This record gives sequence, structure tokens and C-alpha cells, in this order.
Amino acid sequence: MSETHIKIDNVNAYYSGHPALKNISVQIPKKQITAIIGPSGCGKSTLLKCMNRLIDLTDGVTYSGKILIDNEDIFDRKTDIVNIRKKMGLLAQKPTPLPMSIYENIAYGPKIHGLRKKPDLDAIVEKYLKLVGLWEEVKNRLNSPASQLSLGQQQRLCLARGLAVEPEIILCDEPTSALDPVSSQHIEGQLLKLKNDYTIVIVTHNIHQAMRLADYVIHLYLGEMVEHGPADEVFENPKDERTRAYINGTFLEDVKIDKVIDTKGNQCPYNFVYAKQALHDLEKGKTLKIIVDDPTAVTEVPRGMEADGHEVLSVKQKNDTDWEIVIKKKG
Amino acid sequence: MELRRVEESIFKVLMIFSLVIVVGSLLAVIGIILWKGLPVLNIDMLTKTAQGGYYLGKGGGILNAIIGSVYLAAGGTVLAFLLSIGIAFYLQKEYSGGTRLSNMTRLSLDILWGTPSIVYGAFGFTVLMYFHMRASLIAGIILLALLELPIMTRAMEEVIKTVPQELKEVSYSLGATRLETTLRVVSKQALPGIMTGVLIAFGRGIGDAASIMFTAGYTDRIPTSLFDATASLPLAIFFQLGSPLPQVQQKAYASAVILLLIILAISITTRLLSKKYTKYIIK
Repeated sequence: MSETHIKIDNVNAYYSGHPALKNISVQIPKKQITAIIGPSGCGKSTLLKCMNRLIDLTDGVTYSGKILIDNEDIFDRKTDIVNIRKKMGLLAQKPTPLPMSIYENIAYGPKIHGLRKKPDLDAIVEKYLKLVGLWEEVKNRLNSPASQLSLGQQQRLCLARGLAVEPEIILCDEPTSALDPVSSQHIEGQLLKLKNDYTIVIVTHNIHQAMRLADYVIHLYLGEMVEHGPADEVFENPKDERTRAYINGTFLEDVKIDKVIDTKGNQCPYNFVYAKQALHDLEKGKTLKIIVDDPTAVTEVPRGMEADGHEVLSVKQKNDTDWEIVIKKKG
Repeated sequence: MELRRVEESIFKVLMIFSLVIVVGSLLAVIGIILWKGLPVLNIDMLTKTAQGGYYLGKGGGILNAIIGSVYLAAGGTVLAFLLSIGIAFYLQKEYSGGTRLSNMTRLSLDILWGTPSIVYGAFGFTVLMYFHMRASLIAGIILLALLELPIMTRAMEEVIKTVPQELKEVSYSLGATRLETTLRVVSKQALPGIMTGVLIAFGRGIGDAASIMFTAGYTDRIPTSLFDATASLPLAIFFQLGSPLPQVQQKAYASAVILLLIILAISITTRLLSKKYTKYIIK
């Protein structure tokens, strides 16, 4: 295993007394992509926000433990957090350009860190826009508002803006969840390129994204770290039952599935009809998993099932085409 | 299904009704003032001060009141702005912690907002008497600043509060301090709202009579120093309307037209000037 860059040591976090992170201790390797995976509300973003102490901005939050970056404890009140944050670029869930021009968005960071000369700033803007592959698209309108760019372009701008302060670490909080597939692919490509020079931590609930990107994986579940390790080990041979379940996409707050039907290749309403027949054979209170690949069915099957009085437990995307719908028989 | 559609149309009618009342009142006010004021508005009113017998129907104008009001309202607005921008920024939770202190501040401001301006006037008068001072431009400016402060601060604060948390987080994540984030990101994003706050307060200030009645005084001359007494448009309107002579009463409407025009002019210029800066705002 390679050198450790971020050492998380016994970190606990609470929101108004409720534990959000429980005794997290893990070491994040240098110049690799570490993915933090887990279902929504499991503490992934909280852990990420601890790393640059943006968590301080959240109301009613308390935390304890240590996070060491280059042997500096960022939880220590004496640590200069402004300088620590400079070491870490952040790529947020939603593309968030600053209320300025494209040029000023990139120049903002270097400027606040004391760079004033126009030629230097020009060079930085060009360098980082080129690095994220945005230069050709925007070089003729650097002074127009950043908000006029498309969402995908905005996210690349945000990446470039973060890189312009020359960080060592890039923190990504579900960076593609608001983007279309092409833009997502673009960002993923950038991250893979960047891992040669930067330590990257990415929070994602998209297991396939984690598989495509990660070298190291941390699986959080309800604030606990249930498994961590090199990506190939975790994905191919998970030690923890919950990790295995999550990776296989059957993770459902411990629900036992009584029957599975595969309606792939069927259009609506046939998949609905098959599902109804399958449900008919089940006893009350039993659960049925329906696998569909028809986009209409993803919304229509659960709706129809609810109209029939059954309970929809979950609707989950399994991969690019397949969705799983879990129904509990009622009435 | 039918019932729901009926509900829908009833509410639509009610909403349009309210809208008509509001817009109608505004148009009625402006209409009556223009209708009664424009015919008597002449160049003398704008260019001459009220010499001797103006309020008795003789010649002259209200230049002294126009200049006086502009001085008072501009001074008061600038002073109020300097104070309230600080308070409004401080009320962000990064500074005040979003707790008891900020709630107390908000409550105080709301009470001040609701205080009738004659109470401010009486307060200012008491202070002046205590220091054995005469009514003056500076006293009027301070009083108007006090009157405008709560309006401006609360309006700005509400807008600053709507600046998305993500924008601030981005700035912090790039290593910016609270001050840099406030001055370079928050103020840019909140600029249109900050200006609206200033304009509302300016309008309130230039239109107020009671608070400056005892503190700025009234005179036929244009003030030449901060310690001179000064006339003002609202009081000019008040005195003209109070005159028994119909031709003087009519000039009150002409004065009101001037007051409206000043507010309109300030409004339009500010918006034009700020257009350059508002195009970057993140929607």
C-alpha cells in the first residue's frame, strides 16, 4: 500500500447529539482515488466535510478525534484552517460558480492568496482551463458570467477553480449527480487523469462510478465504517455482509426478498401485468423484487402497485439500463 | 373534480382583485398628484427659493426645500448605509453564530421600524434641547439615519440570508477568510437586494416630515453649512396644503410631483449603474 496522505483517527461527529459518524479510523492513500460509498444519510458527506472543516458551518454539529494531513491535526483549534483549506480543492454536488466572470472564477483563489499581477493570473486561468478541457470552449468569452455556461461546463470550471489554488487533495461530493451522462463521463475522465498528481477523495452513491474510479474504498453504513480496503479486494471479495449486499444492489434495510421476477425486454404495461401475477401467488406481507429495463416502467410500476394498495419499498438503479423495484404485498 | 376547478377560479379572481386594488391605488395616487400638480408646476418653483411672501401666494419657489430634502435624505441614507451594511453582514451566522445576539438585534430593529417617526422627532428634539443646540441639517441627517437604519438593515439582511450556503462553502474551500467571502462573494451576490434596501430607505427618508420637523427646522434659505437649519419637501407640502389660499394649496401638489420625480430619478440611476455588476449573479 502506498503512502498515507490523510490519517483519520477515531473521528466521531454528532448533529445536535445524534451520532453521524462513529469511531472512524482510516488512512487515505496519497495520489490515489479513494471512494467513500454507502446509502444516503450514512455520513459520507459529513466525513468529507470534516476533512476541510466545512462542517464548522453546519448548525449544532460537534466532532471529536483527529484528522492528520501532513502531520497537522486539522481538528486542532490552533490549526490555521484557512491554510489547510487551501491544500484541498472541493468539487460540490451541484456546480456552483461564483457570481463573477469565467476568468474571475479561476482567478478568485490565487487572488485571495496574494497573486496580483495580471500576466500571472492570465497564465493561471489559461493553464487550469486547459487542464480541464474547457479552454477551447470559453477562451473567447472569459469575461462573460460563469452562470451562462452549461451545467457540465460549470462543473469543469469549478474543478479548474479548485485546482488553481494548487491543492494537494481534491474532495468531491457526488460531483456528477447533477450532470448528464456525457458531462459525468468528462468529469470522471478528468479525475482519472488528475490522480497522478493529486490525492482524490470522492463521495458517491453510485457503485458503478466507484468501481470505475476508485483505488481504495471506504464503505460507511449508518455512520459506521463497515469496510475499507483496496478497491479490487472490496469489490471482488467483500468481507462484510453489508458491503456485499450494497455492492450487489440488494441493500434494503435488511428486507428479505421472497421472490424475484425479471421482466427485462418487456414494455409497459406487460411488466406490470407479470408483476401483478407474481404478487398474486405470494402471501400477504411477502416481498417481490421486479427487475425492469423499460424507463416508463420505473415510474409506472411503482405507481400502479401503490394504486393497488401494495407498499413500494424501494426503486433503485442497478446499472445503466436495469432498475429494481421492491414491493411488499398488502391488502 | 368540478369543485376543484371552481375553487381554482375563485382564488384566481381574488388574487386579481387584490392586484387591481394595489396597482389601482398606486396609479390613483400618482394620477391625482400629476393631475393637480402638473398645471401649476413652473420653472420658478424649481429654481427660486421661497422669498418672503411665497406662502402668501406671491412669487418664488421651493428650491430651498428641494435642496434641503436632497441633503437630508442623501446624508441620512449614506450614514444609515455605513451602519446597516455592517450590521446586516454581522447578522450572518458565520459572525453572530445565528443565536441570541442576532435575534435580539432583529427584534430591536423591528421595534425601531415600527416606531412612529414623530417619536424619533420628539427624541431628537429632547437631545437637542439638552445640548442647547438649534435645529440643523446635521441633526436632521442623524435623525433620518436613525429612521432609515432598521428598514435598510432588515431589508439587506433578508437578502444576504438568501445567498446560497454553497457559494460561501466554495469560497471557504478555496481558503478565503470570512471577510474575503463576505466582501467578494456575498456582497456581489446580494447586490441587487442591498440596493433595493437602500432605495426603500431613501424613499422613506426623503418622504418623512415628523422626524425632521423639530430637528432640521424650516427656513427659506438654502443651508450653507451642516449647522444651518434647512427646509424640506414634506414640510413644504405640509405648509402649502395648510395655507388658506387655494393657489398656494395647489402648489403643494406640484411639490409632491417634484418629490416623486426625485425618487424616480434616484431609482432609475441606481438601477442603471448597477446593471454592470448584477449580470454575474447566480440564479
